Amino acid sequence: MNNNEPLSLYALNNIVRNVLAENMPARYWVVAELSEVRETAAGHCYIELVQRDEDTNEMLAKARGTIWSRVYTLLRPYFLQQTGQPFAVGLKVLLQVTIGFHELYGFALDVCDVEPSYTIGDMARKRQLIINRLVDEGVINLNRELPFPQLPQRIAVISSSFAAGYGDFCHQLQNNPYGFVFYPHLFSSPMQGAKVEQGIIDALNSIAANIDCWDLVVIIRGGGATSELSCFDTYDLANNCAQFPLPIVTGIGHQRDDTVLDIVAHTRAKTPTAAAELLIHTMAQQAAIIDDFKQKVVSAVVNRMESARMHLSSTVRQLPVAAKLCLQKHYHRLELFEAEVKAASPRRILSLGYSLTTCNGVVVRSVDDVEPGAEVVTHIADGKFTSTINNSIKHENKE
Amino acid sequence: MKTKSNITYNEAIERLDVIMSQINAGNVDIDKLSSLLSEAHELINFCRSRLYKVDEEVKKMIAEIDNDTPVS
Repeated sequence: MNNNEPLSLYALNNIVRNVLAENMPARYWVVAELSEVRETAAGHCYIELVQRDEDTNEMLAKARGTIWSRVYTLLRPYFLQQTGQPFAVGLKVLLQVTIGFHELYGFALDVCDVEPSYTIGDMARKRQLIINRLVDEGVINLNRELPFPQLPQRIAVISSSFAAGYGDFCHQLQNNPYGFVFYPHLFSSPMQGAKVEQGIIDALNSIAANIDCWDLVVIIRGGGATSELSCFDTYDLANNCAQFPLPIVTGIGHQRDDTVLDIVAHTRAKTPTAAAELLIHTMAQQAAIIDDFKQKVVSAVVNRMESARMHLSSTVRQLPVAAKLCLQKHYHRLELFEAEVKAASPRRILSLGYSLTTCNGVVVRSVDDVEPGAEVVTHIADGKFTSTINNSIKHENKE
Repeated sequence: MKTKSNITYNEAIERLDVIMSQINAGNVDIDKLSSLLSEAHELINFCRSRLYKVDEEVKKMIAEIDNDTPVS
């Protein structure tokens, strides 16, 4: 090859193509971030891969790539099913590629295969970094430590206005078997794609503007396991939710491990319906407590009335008995007095054979009281007689 | 003793208890026995009518509580 003669551009590109084809014929596994994904009507997919500096985020390398439709029709559902994510911008992927160079289109990688487990690992690593940061900043448990409202009736719902999830949630609340009344109000936010983070944060700010109007926040979204979830794994969203002053319940309808949003939220429900059930159950618990009080109050009142009735009726029964007994005691005491009085009566003593002697109407108690010749009257039980004193003898030994 | 109009149920019951214990002790002045009994009679009638009235009210309220629709 003569270096002095200029080559046509095609010839130069053709040399590059041949050199590459000869020297790099193998398939290579390459790690990169998807910076562009464009599907064509024909079913092909054009991608752009980039590598950024881990610290500065500065772009270090960039390459275009093509996934032909015969590969892409298999790769696309496989990737979605394995990772729970659509093959989309922002993901880190491990791709098997061959290196191609076309005279007109230039350098391009031809994608033959994908390893979804790498993307899963990378997402998990990113999630873990966010979680670690929330732990380090001491905010990860803040929302979970808020007291859950006892009557969660005024519900600020963050959801997409056209998503089925909000309808399911309201339907479940309105048809609760207890007849509880709930007041859900929708704060609309995109629930898929890149606008989720800002949408939910904006909705939280709207709720915070009238914080006293709400008992709690519920973030819900319909849809199954196949929906994209990485939008709920962002630091700013998690940080806003963790520090929100009302408890947050999530029901974003997925089966895999919790998203970071689920981790910081006060309570995680699997689906919007389950979130509604949780609120109904909380209300039912309070209703049971009130019913219990009702029973206790009724039985306490019944018991008090019964004891008052028994006390009164026992008083009513005892009072006449006590009064009679009291009277009887007094009668008895009178009888005793009577007997004593009787025992002391002179008539009783006279009847025993004793007699009473008077002289000039005065009771004679001593021989000194009468002179010989005096007239005395002797009283005995059945009458009296008069005598004249002849002589009197005084007992010497008596004092 | 308070007059009948401003005495409470509990005060009436306490007074009845005092009268009962005096009579039971047997040392009541007989002159006072009949006035004590008359007072007790009056207190009992008062308590009965209070109890009856409250009982009616309580029964009515319990029926209302039981008939209440579930808490919502």
